[in-house]
Amino acid sequence: MFKIISFHLRFDCLSITVCCCYLVLVMGKRPIVVLSSSDDDAGDCNDDDFSLKLSCLNKSKSRTASVPRTRTKKVRVSSSRSHPGKNANPFDEMRLFCEDFGESFTGFKVSAGNRKGNKELWLDKYTPSSLAELCVHKKKVEEIKVWFEERISTRKDEHCNYVLLITGQSGVGKSATVHAVASHLGATICEWNTPTPTIWQEHIHTTNAGLRYMSKLDEFENFVERIRKYGLISSSLTGEQQKPIIILIDDLPVINGKISYGRLQRCLHLLVQSVRIPTVILITDYSREDTSDYTSRCWEDLQTFLQSVGACKVAFNPITVNSIAKTLSKICKGENFRITADQIDVIAKASGGDIRHAITSLQYFCLKPGSITKAPHAIDYLDDGHSLPFGRDETLSLFHALGKFLHNKRDIETLTASDSVLLKEDFTRLPMKMDAPERVLGQAHGQARPIADFLQENVLDFVHEEAMDDAWVATSYLSDADTLLASLAGVQYKNYVAENIIQSTAASVAVRGVMFGNRHPLSSRWHAIRRPMLWQVEQSRWRNKKEILGQRTTACNGVNLSDLSIIATEWNPALKWLGFRAFEDDTRHLGGLVNDDMVHNEEEDEIEDW
Amino acid sequence: MLWVDKYRPKALDKVLVHQDVAQNLKKLVTEQDCPHLLFYGPPGSGKKTLIMALLRQMFGASAEKVKVENKNWKVDAGSRTIDLELTTLSSTHHVELNPSDAGFQDRYIVQEIIKEMAKNRPIDTKGKKGFKVLVLNEVDKLSREAQHSLRRTMEKYSASCRLILCCDSSSKVTEAVRSRCLNIRISAPKEGEIVKVLEFIGKKEGLQLPPGFAARIAEKSGRSLRRAILSFETCRVQQYPFTNNQVIPPMDWEEYVSEIASDIMKEQSPKRLFQVRGKLYELLVNCIPPEIILKRLLYELLKKLDSELKHEVCHWAAYYEHRMRLGQKAIFHIEAFVAKFMSIYKGFLIATFG
Repeated sequence: MFKIISFHLRFDCLSITVCCCYLVLVMGKRPIVVLSSSDDDAGDCNDDDFSLKLSCLNKSKSRTASVPRTRTKKVRVSSSRSHPGKNANPFDEMRLFCEDFGESFTGFKVSAGNRKGNKELWLDKYTPSSLAELCVHKKKVEEIKVWFEERISTRKDEHCNYVLLITGQSGVGKSATVHAVASHLGATICEWNTPTPTIWQEHIHTTNAGLRYMSKLDEFENFVERIRKYGLISSSLTGEQQKPIIILIDDLPVINGKISYGRLQRCLHLLVQSVRIPTVILITDYSREDTSDYTSRCWEDLQTFLQSVGACKVAFNPITVNSIAKTLSKICKGENFRITADQIDVIAKASGGDIRHAITSLQYFCLKPGSITKAPHAIDYLDDGHSLPFGRDETLSLFHALGKFLHNKRDIETLTASDSVLLKEDFTRLPMKMDAPERVLGQAHGQARPIADFLQENVLDFVHEEAMDDAWVATSYLSDADTLLASLAGVQYKNYVAENIIQSTAASVAVRGVMFGNRHPLSSRWHAIRRPMLWQVEQSRWRNKKEILGQRTTACNGVNLSDLSIIATEWNPALKWLGFRAFEDDTRHLGGLVNDDMVHNEEEDEIEDW
Repeated sequence: MLWVDKYRPKALDKVLVHQDVAQNLKKLVTEQDCPHLLFYGPPGSGKKTLIMALLRQMFGASAEKVKVENKNWKVDAGSRTIDLELTTLSSTHHVELNPSDAGFQDRYIVQEIIKEMAKNRPIDTKGKKGFKVLVLNEVDKLSREAQHSLRRTMEKYSASCRLILCCDSSSKVTEAVRSRCLNIRISAPKEGEIVKVLEFIGKKEGLQLPPGFAARIAEKSGRSLRRAILSFETCRVQQYPFTNNQVIPPMDWEEYVSEIASDIMKEQSPKRLFQVRGKLYELLVNCIPPEIILKRLLYELLKKLDSELKHEVCHWAAYYEHRMRLGQKAIFHIEAFVAKFMSIYKGFLIATFG
């Protein structure tokens, strides 16, 4: 038996868990409890929907949610009223469940919809409400403001496009800016809310009731269709007040393949073409981390596509350390915490330009485990930047890492030779001016194969003109790395553990080999790091091979199949000398060979003539 | 039509070069049955020609009526299906294919497709069940897994089909496969034999051959008959009537390799190594097999090298050739060889000339 309830868990002492995540906890005999630790107003709406969906299953699930922010309060109240009354029993169970977790949950108070109280997320408490509070660059804010003003004032202009695309990393204040600008202009924001993700168990559960599964993409398509057909979302939303409306599409459906990408693209195209209300689409850039990822490439394509269709694009940069620090100190002042400028600086730097992260870190940092007192207290466990309990893991770009390996900067003199094993002079090198290569590799998400290819392409540029031996040592280690990597290819049954070890070993051999070999690195002047030509070579080689294989039967007169190598090394050069005359004849003959005797005879005649 | 094809002997009786082998083969198939066969020998020695002639001997002229098929195969491999594209050349009696074209998926071809083909056996005119012949080229390039599955296939379908395997070197064919076949070694033709063939073609074409000209072509060919006939024809196109000191046009890639070799001899520096890499890429793009490049490069380098260095250079060439076979990307290893050569040669130059 399943009892499903929905709760608003107010994390008083703050959680590191991300907002809006739904946990399904299945605990032995206990019922499934769906927790929603949502702090977002809009999210709350969804929760209600969610619980409704589950309790009365015959209610249609499809929903193009476009609830204005102003109305959410009302819905929320009703929900908070209904829950404890209706589901008193589950509520007890919930408390039991909380007690199970005992001490780990002591700081958490279950409060169904209690919005008051000062122990809330600073992130929400200090949400910027005016333009001045935003820590986004002034010019960008201005740009967006101007754009909205133009759209709102000249409503009926047909030639104007109505879609604004805002891109940027996560936590640079994209949606905050839109909200602030909207409230500045007195506009209402209608958000396309993400429908609640259907959890697998839920889907299984509801299939019996005959409900159709709707993906996020389906719902988005519905939504766009509606906007297209009815212009405004619905008249009831605008109702009495004639406030301008802004549509905000915050998270687009996830795409994971060509088909869904095509659907989304088509959908957005329609939207851009037809919409006559200022619409903002937010796309989060992930490109900084890993450009080779398929989905992030999709998003990039989508951005360029939207621009080409006519959307206006504004790209947000990561927020500068200074403005983050300014905001943080303002919050500290507001919360009565004393915190040194250095500490704020460390937090701001660790956040990597992500204001949301910085504020959360600050709140976490100001937290003393056990008690949550508002009493001001000094914080003193911030010694070095490395051992911060928070902060985003620093990543390096691949090129940065490659530059480190190739430039091979080393200290001028050896520190002490006492603790190290005595090596021959040939094998000793000065200590490296960087972290262990493996660590750098890890930061750059370096995979063995591309790393080896990049090193092979570029290493010769960094070796001293005279140092042929160095070049040999480096290339020889790269050859070793390649041999190691080859042992992975074409293995029938994958052994992931072994593969991992081989991968990291090969990467180490390649990197350390190059660094070891390059004894006399060139003085550091600027070098461009090239993309491996090898990749291109392999591609065109593959194409040529296909072509040759395609012509193979022609080249050998259709009598037998020759080896590729023979064609490449003997037939083709000979044919080049013969000027393709014979070659053309061959194609004609082949046609004859396939069919019947008559042509066959004809062909023999031709041989006599020739 | 190229002379190579035009003067390819069609019957076992007409073979000029390996007459003894041809006669033995003829005797072998007159009893209507033959064991699995494995032809091996260096390129240009006439393996394919013999196989074609053998098929003709077995099935008559109908074996020559072949059609080229480019078929897509769907192989069901447990959890997934694998799409394979394979070109086959088939008559009613035999099918010829290159399993190694499929790369690392070659084992599926050997396992599934050959099974498929071996299943439907033809029925000959007397109503007796005949057998189908499968000609597999480049068996030495098959992966080890594929060779293992080949062994199974050979045992299982020996009643209904005969395999004729063809490869350059039998050392890369597993012992198990070799022991199930009748191994026929086709040696490279001697220069005298090549001269005989060239003279035969010259007579047929009505060409005047100056004395010693054919011998020069034969010498240049490296005992490959195909090579000899091809360059004979290019000579004919280039200049006729032949003169005795006529230059025999080399293959373009060989010229390119010797260019690379002289580049290496002229300067030894990382920058030059980089230029050499570019040229090597050029060769690789044109599908010249890396082993052949390395071999040729070594040959060209040895021509210009002091004898005291030859041993060491050969050692390293062998070392990196082995690496290349183990490895994945050939350029890594060729480049390492070139770098090693440069470093040895540079050391040598400094030691001798200071």
